[in-house]
Amino acid sequence: MAQQQKGPKKWPIYNKKMFPPQLPGEERRPAYVCHMRTNIKYSPFKMWYVASMIRGMSIDEALKQLSFVNKLGAVHVKEALLEAQKLAVEKHNVEFKSNLWVAESFATKGLVYKGVRRHAKGRVGVIHYFHTHYFVRLEEGTPPQHFYFETVPKTTKTLLSEWVDEMRQRRIPLSL
Amino acid sequence: MSLSQWTGLRTLLTPSLLNVRNVPAVSAGIQVRHIAKHWLPQFKKLRRLKVQKVKLPNFREDQDASKLSPDQIRARMKEQGMLPPRSWMERPVFVSATSSVFEAYVPPEGDGKLSALTLGGAKQSMELLSKKSKSMMAVRKIKSFEEDFSTKYFPEEAQEIYLKAHKALAEKDDDTLHQCVTELCYPLMTDDLRSCTVRWQFLKSLEPPRVVHARCTEVINKENIFSQVTVRFHTQQTLAVYDRFGRLIYGNEVVAKDVLEYVVFEKHLANVYGLWRIHEKIIPDWMPEREAGKKTYIKQKPVVEAEPVTDSVVQPVTPTEGSAAVA
Repeated sequence: MAQQQKGPKKWPIYNKKMFPPQLPGEERRPAYVCHMRTNIKYSPFKMWYVASMIRGMSIDEALKQLSFVNKLGAVHVKEALLEAQKLAVEKHNVEFKSNLWVAESFATKGLVYKGVRRHAKGRVGVIHYFHTHYFVRLEEGTPPQHFYFETVPKTTKTLLSEWVDEMRQRRIPLSL
Repeated sequence: MSLSQWTGLRTLLTPSLLNVRNVPAVSAGIQVRHIAKHWLPQFKKLRRLKVQKVKLPNFREDQDASKLSPDQIRARMKEQGMLPPRSWMERPVFVSATSSVFEAYVPPEGDGKLSALTLGGAKQSMELLSKKSKSMMAVRKIKSFEEDFSTKYFPEEAQEIYLKAHKALAEKDDDTLHQCVTELCYPLMTDDLRSCTVRWQFLKSLEPPRVVHARCTEVINKENIFSQVTVRFHTQQTLAVYDRFGRLIYGNEVVAKDVLEYVVFEKHLANVYGLWRIHEKIIPDWMPEREAGKKTYIKQKPVVEAEPVTDSVVQPVTPTEGSAAVA
């Protein structure tokens, strides 16, 4: 059926953003590509696990990991990644297809269809048939050492300063 | 295929499921941990009646459409009650520009500096004479429509158009660009630069531009005349092309380059409001190759088209033959 495509529209617009030319000494600005797959017949709540697993991985690592995830969502994510990789090389001036990493990866709720289920004593329940949108942004370059701030190992210096702060914040209860 | 049928499966590998909607083609091998089957088969039917089937739309359908055979497409359209698209019989014709360069100018080898005493040089000068007379005729024709036209002053006008077009291209000013280039030239100029930033500068003319060639042609009827004038430019320019992320892909903003160009200008003479516009550029065979871009590419393998299937009976391939073919 030639029905109107519903779903998010803003994400692909990031692919059209133009950056000003760089000066000769400037650090090379990494290329990126935004890609999405809309209205996948899969639960967005289950997709969250797949989407967050590959964050901060290199593209090759993400594809490898996804091929070992026994979830239907992983197949969709993997396909989306491959599509994005192809786009990056063909349209967005990325030279080497392995030189990409997953900078953003998330899933949101798509269309929800409701069904009815019969219960005892003339009652009914509602069944939600969820769809999910999957979004990914691949960036050129090698992935950062620590994608999440929390996973950065603390140096002795930071540990010391944290300890000092903690000590200074002590208060004697009911004192002036 | 409804959702309830999913639950009774151990893996999605089952061949009957390969056509399941919304399941990607590579889904083979996704395993499900459980067997969702009730232990008591007695009230199977009643259990089924508890849930009404909902027909969910298939959002992945458009992607699969390319893989379908005409028969399958027909079946799908029948199912959805759609009529086949009307075949488009009219051919779009665009009449304010021609679709090519007629009797294109052939720039002489070495830009006409070949000695007239050599064989090639003598040939060139002979050809030049015959071509010149034709050009004269064409110029006379243009003058009959445009009184002020002269080969002496036209190059200046041409250079102005040339500069205006390139400036508009760099600034992505489509309206101005359409005034300066024909419908044939427009996609040639803009297509590769859709997502690029262009820094272009015209420094100076090394030689004054001159008209080297002129031709007129009639399209459809005798009054409908197009004229094309080739102008030789020898200039100095700088060009730098940046990609979407502002990274240099071609050229340099500082290094000036000498550019020798043969630019074809076209005008629809029959049109009172016709403009001289850039139509095409003539690139001679002897021109040295352009400087390559900085990016490297994976060389694509040429696509080998499969041989058409004949009606004859296909010979069964023995295992030995098959393995040999693979090896």
